[in-house]
Amino acid sequence: MTEKLTKDAVRRLSDAFGEPGWMTDRRLAAFDIFDKLELPDPKSEEWRYTDVRGFDLTRFAAPIPGASRPELPPDVEALGVIVTDLPGAVADHEDLLKEHFFTEVPVDEHKFTALHGAFHSDDIFVFVPRGVEVTVPIEVVRRLPAGGSAFPHTTIVVSGQASLTFVDRFASEDLLEPALCSSVVEVEAGPGATVNYISLQDWGRGAHHFQTQRFTGNRDATVRSLAVQLGASFARTQVESVLRGEGSFSEMLGLYFADTDQHFAQRTLQSHDAPHATSDLLYKGALKERARSEYSGLIRVARGAQGTDAYQANRNLVLSDEAMAHSIPQLEIQANEVRCTHGATVSPVEEEHLFYLMSRGIDRLTAQKLIVFGFFGEVLDRIRVPGVRSELSDAIARKVEGGRRLEVAV
Amino acid sequence: MADPLLQIEDLHATVEDREILKGLNLTVDKGEIHALMGPNGSGKSTLAYVLMGRPGYEVTRGKVLYKGEDILGLAPDERAQRGIFLAFQYPTEVPGVSVVNFLRTAYNTIHPDDEKSAIAFRMYLQEKIDLLEIPEELVDRYVNQGFSGGEKKRNEILQMAVLRPELAIMDETDSGLDIDALRHVSEGVNKLMSDDIGVILITHYQRLLNYIRPHFVHVLMGGRIVTSGGFDLAERLEAEGYAGLGQELGLAREEYVEEEGAAV
Repeated sequence: MTEKLTKDAVRRLSDAFGEPGWMTDRRLAAFDIFDKLELPDPKSEEWRYTDVRGFDLTRFAAPIPGASRPELPPDVEALGVIVTDLPGAVADHEDLLKEHFFTEVPVDEHKFTALHGAFHSDDIFVFVPRGVEVTVPIEVVRRLPAGGSAFPHTTIVVSGQASLTFVDRFASEDLLEPALCSSVVEVEAGPGATVNYISLQDWGRGAHHFQTQRFTGNRDATVRSLAVQLGASFARTQVESVLRGEGSFSEMLGLYFADTDQHFAQRTLQSHDAPHATSDLLYKGALKERARSEYSGLIRVARGAQGTDAYQANRNLVLSDEAMAHSIPQLEIQANEVRCTHGATVSPVEEEHLFYLMSRGIDRLTAQKLIVFGFFGEVLDRIRVPGVRSELSDAIARKVEGGRRLEVAV
Repeated sequence: MADPLLQIEDLHATVEDREILKGLNLTVDKGEIHALMGPNGSGKSTLAYVLMGRPGYEVTRGKVLYKGEDILGLAPDERAQRGIFLAFQYPTEVPGVSVVNFLRTAYNTIHPDDEKSAIAFRMYLQEKIDLLEIPEELVDRYVNQGFSGGEKKRNEILQMAVLRPELAIMDETDSGLDIDALRHVSEGVNKLMSDDIGVILITHYQRLLNYIRPHFVHVLMGGRIVTSGGFDLAERLEAEGYAGLGQELGLAREEYVEEEGAAV
């Protein structure tokens, strides 16, 4: 019999990794929190259009101990860059790990992060020393078995004046039995550091994906994130930029395309905790068939964060009458010298645009594709990893054409 | 004898259940420019949209034969692939789609036997840009987005030059243009005119016809052509106005009185 997500399974996972007592205790404490917490309430602002109360967490098999192997650029380790899994970090970098692992995202944020705290099993720990510029992107592919669960954890620490680009892929075939992924990403950029983090969620149908990403920018740091949602039956991603240092900058890009019965929920936070920080957010999504998406984004400006410049835009393109997109922008401002701009739109593909393109000989499907590409262009043009850009173009084209994915009943 | 390029017989069409075209007849052959003049609300733009197959424009009676083929059942792209082109009165802005990308896609669909690579197409496009003396940067911008009125119309002519249609319908290509822009657009049309193309020039004003000489002039009132002639008919219209001509022809007042703000 396969083992489910029980407290015993937590112990066995920790044993399998040969973890020291403190790590096992943290896992067990997280499990107790998980046990106590209710599933998120759809009446709360953060889960408003996403009702997970009926979600059965007991049916998924426990994760298989192990970690995905990132592809490392040559010589990167010679520069003092650390890229390791959890047992490796525990064995060789225990102090660094204690200082940075699971420190940004609270374990008790909600039931799924608590479960992650107990079962995190596909951990990657990246540390870039001061002043080191990693020019080639580090990429990793996460996996998810049918009927099972995965708890990928990414901890990235980029020291002062250093730089790194990291591509986190979540990819699988269609899953004939539902599976669960609960993931946490913590990224910290030191003074003057630059981090580009890209997450590509392209799970097969049948996957349920929950993820929290938190970016911390120290003084004059640059943090760029791109969150892509293409796969899974259900995906909820929370992306938070905490601008803790004066003069820090965060670019937050989002691209999602939901079809058939996919449901994507996205929550973003631009937290301006220090003066003269800038955040620039653009989330664009397309929906077809009966797909649902929701976006809710908060700009929070703390007392004293003068000179804040925050921009937030969420645009949705709806390709069918049955698809639906919700967009909720929010502001919470406690400083007085700030510039905050936000805007949200949900628009259909204009028949007039289609007719114009078709009057030039272009068939309806191609015309739609041109319009969808035109819509996403603004985000695609800002992606700094060319391979990712062309990969996404292909994925968008496939989505418009009808996709290669099967529908899986869950 | 070969079929005419375009043959319209007893065409009736409705928009939102309102009959706009009420028995229109027109035959156009290659090498001919037909000016179609009429007051606002007479059905000029409706005819243009019906010929291009715009959704919402329903033909209730009559025939439209293009080179002998009934095209009323065809989608707009299928009509364009057969060589029909509409220069829009109000060209649509398409965000995020560059002119060059859009035109190459269109060209390769309409001329599959002459499919052009990105580089080959760019060179071909440059020839047309030079021919029409169009600002080059226009083609790298998004389709009609942020274009001035004149730029939009010139972009329509550029598309016509690139796609090489056999039947071009120009819907009030002169509207909203100052005299310099009008001259420029007209020169473009004249350069594209040949024995391989038939043109329907829809206009409200005689002014355009000083720059593009039509072979035939038709007056459209109340959804049908009430009289046809040569260039002198346009001059007569200029002198008498639509009301004068309408009274002379003994038409009902509602046929020649202009509707405010109508664009049908």
